[in-house]
Parts: sequence; structure tokens; C-alpha cells
Amino acid sequence: MRKEIKITSIVLLVLVFSLLLSGSVLAQEEDRYGGTLNAALQMSVAHLDSDNSTDSMITAMMNHVYEGLFEFDKNLKVHPYLAQSYQVSENGLVYEVKLRENVMMHNGQTMNADDVVASFKRWLELNNGGKLVAPHFDQVEKIDQFNVRFTFNDPYAPFLNILASPVSNQKFVVRAEEVIDEFGTDVIDRHVGTGPYKYEEWVPDQKLVLTRFEDYTPSPRESSFFAGKRIPYLDKIVFNFIPDAQVRVSGVQTGQFHFAEEVPRDQYQIFEMDENIKNEIIYPDRMSMLIFNSSEAPFDNKYARRAIAYALDFEELGYAMIGDPQFWRLESALHEKGNPWHVPDAGEGIYGVYDPEKAKELLDRAGYDGQPLVILSGQDNQMERQGAIAIQDQLEKIGIEVELQLFDRPTVVEKRSKPDGWHMHLSPFIKVVPDPQIHQGWTGTNKWITNWDSKDSRQMDQIFAEMLREVNYEQRYKIVERMQAELWDSVPYFNILDYSRLHIRRTELKNFQAGWQPFFWNTYLE
Amino acid sequence: MLFLKKYNKYKHPYITASIIILIFLVFLSLFAPALTDYSPVRNNARNRLQPPSREHLLGTDQFGRDIFTRILYGIRTSMQVGLAVVLLTVIFGGVVGVAAGYYSQIDRVVMRILDAMMAFPGIIIAISLAAIWGAGKLNIILALSFAYFPKMARIVRSSVISIKDLDYVDSARAAGAKDSRIIVKYILKNSASPIMVQATFNFALAILDEAALSFLGVGIMPPAPSLGAMVTDARTYMVVAPWMILAPGIMIVLAVLSLNLLGDGLRDLLDPHLKNTFQK
Repeated sequence: MRKEIKITSIVLLVLVFSLLLSGSVLAQEEDRYGGTLNAALQMSVAHLDSDNSTDSMITAMMNHVYEGLFEFDKNLKVHPYLAQSYQVSENGLVYEVKLRENVMMHNGQTMNADDVVASFKRWLELNNGGKLVAPHFDQVEKIDQFNVRFTFNDPYAPFLNILASPVSNQKFVVRAEEVIDEFGTDVIDRHVGTGPYKYEEWVPDQKLVLTRFEDYTPSPRESSFFAGKRIPYLDKIVFNFIPDAQVRVSGVQTGQFHFAEEVPRDQYQIFEMDENIKNEIIYPDRMSMLIFNSSEAPFDNKYARRAIAYALDFEELGYAMIGDPQFWRLESALHEKGNPWHVPDAGEGIYGVYDPEKAKELLDRAGYDGQPLVILSGQDNQMERQGAIAIQDQLEKIGIEVELQLFDRPTVVEKRSKPDGWHMHLSPFIKVVPDPQIHQGWTGTNKWITNWDSKDSRQMDQIFAEMLREVNYEQRYKIVERMQAELWDSVPYFNILDYSRLHIRRTELKNFQAGWQPFFWNTYLE
Repeated sequence: MLFLKKYNKYKHPYITASIIILIFLVFLSLFAPALTDYSPVRNNARNRLQPPSREHLLGTDQFGRDIFTRILYGIRTSMQVGLAVVLLTVIFGGVVGVAAGYYSQIDRVVMRILDAMMAFPGIIIAISLAAIWGAGKLNIILALSFAYFPKMARIVRSSVISIKDLDYVDSARAAGAKDSRIIVKYILKNSASPIMVQATFNFALAILDEAALSFLGVGIMPPAPSLGAMVTDARTYMVVAPWMILAPGIMIVLAVLSLNLLGDGLRDLLDPHLKNTFQK
């Protein structure tokens, strides 16, 4: 009897303690709520309708308002988000997606298949990503209130990756059907999504204000970057558009902003010394690409293009165009290490091999007549400007005459789209791409600005056509390996190195994770 | 020479100081290749942002280029631009000014056009022209000359007008001298001092505006060294590598200050009305 009392009292004690403990945990959790976050972003946007633009800044902000059927986690693995689960038919033609039930939208209704179908049709018609899918797509239909079926004409392997794509607003997000009925293909300026924050106010070129959506329904999955549970601790998020980097920096230093995007990497040490500021280095998510004009001599010959890869000292370029080595790394593959499509031995024997003698030999073989080579590059971005100057220097060191043409971005875009007047162009690419098919838009016969039209380019077209149809990962990876090998053999363009961006935040902003686009759910102010 | 005579008499301190600085700057720019072992454009990026040391007197920039070397060549660029602009403005401004001042029919048309041009600040005209023609040394020189010459023309014109009705001009005309002889021998010679003063100020202004245009990215094209472009580049590194912005900044100040002092001094010396305003 005594023993029982003892056991009972111990059990009771444990219970009381655990209750107290959970209470304090809950209280701590409660404490996190509240506050207004001020973030300084570097560029304003024209409008907030991601389907009607390729400006990825829109998605970066509207990720808080709209959510996708699928979203990427930290390791670039795609997870169902507004979708509960999905099934792909044996032949790869039919995707059946079951939606999460009871997900509230900002208009007070629950999200259902009608919203998804309406949003998807608009995405297919307007969005850059949708347009990639459209030629292979047959139809989207509602099975019942929470089930949707997507049917293709021919197998389209990158479908789910493109639905969640973090590149140029390609992501498919679910909007309320009523809004789509109201606006059709016009630019949407009334925003009804499912996200943790609601659209409140937008002052063009100045700021975007979002407020917490009180009835938000978080995903039950584990939180990781864009996938999983999102908790809106902050009452309000204000995105301020501050184009001048130094103004963003001093705003954080004085406490006006809690977060600043893309600040000068060379001031890293100064931020390090400031105890109120924390550096956030973004995983090398940009790569610098040297693009050749393959229709203009000498680069209409692949040996001349290869020669340039041998003529450049990539490491020296890293110091010149980016600076501190903790912000860049040499990488020969289009997909970074850790990405499922990373090809570790891409460009072996040519990437990073500095051999000016061989370069001269190859140029002779290509019949280069010593004419000055024109490098066309932007002058506003550090990588483009300093990279172009450094490349000119290195080529001149081995006796190649180079003419440097630096312009503002609109002029560069206009000039590079012409088939003549330039030989080389330096451009940043987004590294974090979820699917190798995306490169099809840039490489192949006459793709993008390359003016590449030869036996090799048609072979590249063939490789991409195969890649599109192959659903099996192992088989598809082999095709990606062939694509990389072809790319380093005929070199319509090549990646010099990967580099990181630097964001800074105040230390009172907690639980911030440095994603490829900044996001502020799960973060809180202390 | 009137100027040397007057200088020997008064020893104007502004002029002494400015000439010393100018001689120093001209020396640096003329003997740039002999004063340094480095090239102003060759990179050595592994050595970037080095503080001043024995090898690099003023440190290195973000490409690992020696800043001392770039400054030497930068002054050279400034001097070339300044000199060329001054020559062009004196020639064009002189021709237009003499024509307008001497022949009153031309005066009415030409001066109205120049008035319109002078309604815009010179730097705005220069920026627009540089933006249209594209960056580069020659375009900068042309743009700046175009922006400055109306003022020069106006000064020449007023001086011609005040001289052309003086008695000695009339007597030369009565003696049968042709217009060309009167203009060169009697009028231009006697309006030399305001032209000289204005030319000196233009020199300083051209150096400053070249730096401004390069700072804005429409001036000298990289990698060619220019003091203004060096200041632009250095802005990002101001806190981590202050030597990058100090050296070219100080050089711009020195060059412009010395030329302005020289201009002020010359005006004091050469203006007959002001000659008693300073004491020896």
C-alpha cells in the first residue's frame, strides 16, 4: 500500500513537472509572436503578379502570400506542399494530385480543386515556366473537390521540378478562382492566396507591406526552407526597396532595417566586428558564365572557343571578379555539388587548366587572324564589370587584342541580342536550378544569344530531346552527363566559377535561414 | 613678357604655390614610366587590396594593381584632357568671340545661340554628349570643349568690343590696316589676359569634370586609369581599404586647387583695375 502511494506520488510529480515544463515551452513559443520586420531589398518590381513577369524578385516577396502545390526543401528536393500526395501513371503521362483539405485562403474560403485548376490554366498560358510545359501538356481536370488530374501528350520528366521552380517566377502558385475570373490574363493587383501573410499595401518603388494571416493553415510536414511548416510569428513584414547598397548597409547598422539583401562582400570583416550584425553568406547560388557569339569569327570555330578556356587563369579571375575566396569556388558543372544532377568530372582536362601555349595553338588551328575580340559586359554588377576587365587583362597578357565594351544593363541586353558586334559576353546565371532541362533554354541551335548553329548544336538539341522524355532518374542522369561532356567539347559557353551573395541581418532577428530567396516565416524578433 | 615682368615685381604667393604644385604634377605625369616598375592596367588579383608597403607605395586596388602607378598615369590622363580641352575652347571660343565682337551682324545671331547653350550647366551638356557619343578620352575632350566654349566666346567678345573702339584701333584703321591685321595685332594681343585667366579656370574645370564623368561611368573607359574612375571603384572599399580613395582624391584636389590658385593669381596680376588690391 505504501509502495503504491510512493509510485503514485512520483507519477503525479512527474506529471506536474511536465505540465509546468510544457507551459513554459508554450509561453516561450508565445513570446515569439509580434513585431514588425523591416527588410531592405535591392530592387523594386513593376507589379506583383508572378505569372506575368520573369522578375524573380516578385516570387521572393510573394512566397509569403502564395504557396505552391510543391515546394523545394533545403537540399533542392521537391515535396508536396498544398498537395497532400500525388501519383504518376506508369507511362509518365498522368499526374493525379490529392490536395490538402481545409486550407484557408485570404478571402475566408477553403482552397479546393477549382482554385488549382483555374490557377494552373492561367500559369500554363502566361507563365514562363508554364509556356515550357504547354507544348507537351494535354489537359487539367477536377476529379472531385480535392483531387486534380494533369494529363500530358508525351512524357515530360521535369514537371514537378518546374511546378516548384525557384527560377525566374516559374513556380506555380495557387490563387483564388474568383481573382482569376476577375483579372483573366491581366496583371493581378488583388491578391488572395493561402500563404502565412496577407497583402496589405504596395507603394511602387518604395515598399510592400504584408500582415499576418490569422487563419493560416500550416503544412503538417517538417519545416525546411520553402517546404514544410511555416509559422508567421511576425505581425507585419515590410519590404523596402533600396537600390543603393551603402544605404541598405547603413540602415542595418543603425537598426532601421532588420535585414539587407546583397551587400558588398568586401565589407564582410566590418560586419563581422559589429556585434549587432550577423553575416549571412548565401550558398554559392550564382555562376559567372562566359558566352561566345558562335556566328562570328573566330568563335564560329569550336577550337577558338576552347582556346579561351585554356587561356584564362580561373583562380586569378576569382580574386579579381569576386574577391575573398570564401565567396567563390571553382566548379565545372552546371549543377552544384549536392544537387542530384551534379556531374563531378565535368570538363575534366579543360576546366581550370591554364595553358596559354595550348590556347595559342588552338587559336591558330581555328585560323584566328589577330583581330581584336570584343567583350561585351554590364558595368553595374561587380562580377560582370570586374570579370570583364580581368578577362581582358589575361587575354592581353598572352598577346590577344581585346576591346572592352561596358554598358548599362538595357544597352547590354540590346547589343548582345544582335548577331554581330560582339565576341564574348559575361553574364551571371542562377545556379540553384532544380532540373537540367532548364538549360535547354540557353544551349542548343540558336538558343538565347549564342547564335550557335552547327553539327554540334544539333547534337545538343538531340540530347535535350532525349532528356525530356526520360523519366527514370538513373537513365536521365546519364543523359545529363552526356550534355555536360558535349558542353565542354563544343563550348558555346562555359562557367568560370560559382559565387555567393552576402546578406546581413540584425542579431535580434532570430531563426533566419539563408535560402536562395529570403523568407521570413519561422523567423521572429527578440 | 608682361606676365613675367609683373610676376618678378609682385611675387604673388598664390602663383608661387600653384606653380610649384603644377610643376610637381607635370613632372609626375611626364615621367610616369620612369617612376614605376608596374603597369597601370596589368592585374595581379591574388595581391588585391594590399595596404601601402615598400613594394606598393600607395597599396593596391581590387585587381591588385599598384595604386601609385595608376595615379601617375591618371594624372597624365587628367593633364591630357585638361590641356586638349583648353586648346579647343581657346581656339573655338576665340574664333567665335572675335567674330561676334568685331562684326555686329554676326553678334546678334551667334550670341543668342550661345546664350541658349549657356542656359544649361556645362556638366549636364557634357554628360549628355558623352552618353550619346559613348565613353572614351576623345569623346570626353570634345564634349567638355563643347560645354565650355560659349563662356570663352563671351569673354573674348566683350573684351573685343571694349577694345575695338579705342583710339589706337581707330588710328590703325585710318592708316589702312586690314581687319585681319587689326584683330591679330591690336585686339587679340590686348585681350590676352582675360583669355589666359579663363583658360586656366577651364583647365581646372576640365580636370574636375573629367573626374566627375569617369566617376559616373561615362568618362574614361576602364581599365585605363582615371582619377575619377579610381574614386568610383574605391567607394565600395572605402572602409576596408581607405588608401584606395584617399590617394586619387587628394590628387584631384591638388590639381584643381593649384589651377584655381593660378587663375586667381593671374587675374590679380593682369587686371589693371585690381593691381593695387594686394600688397607685396
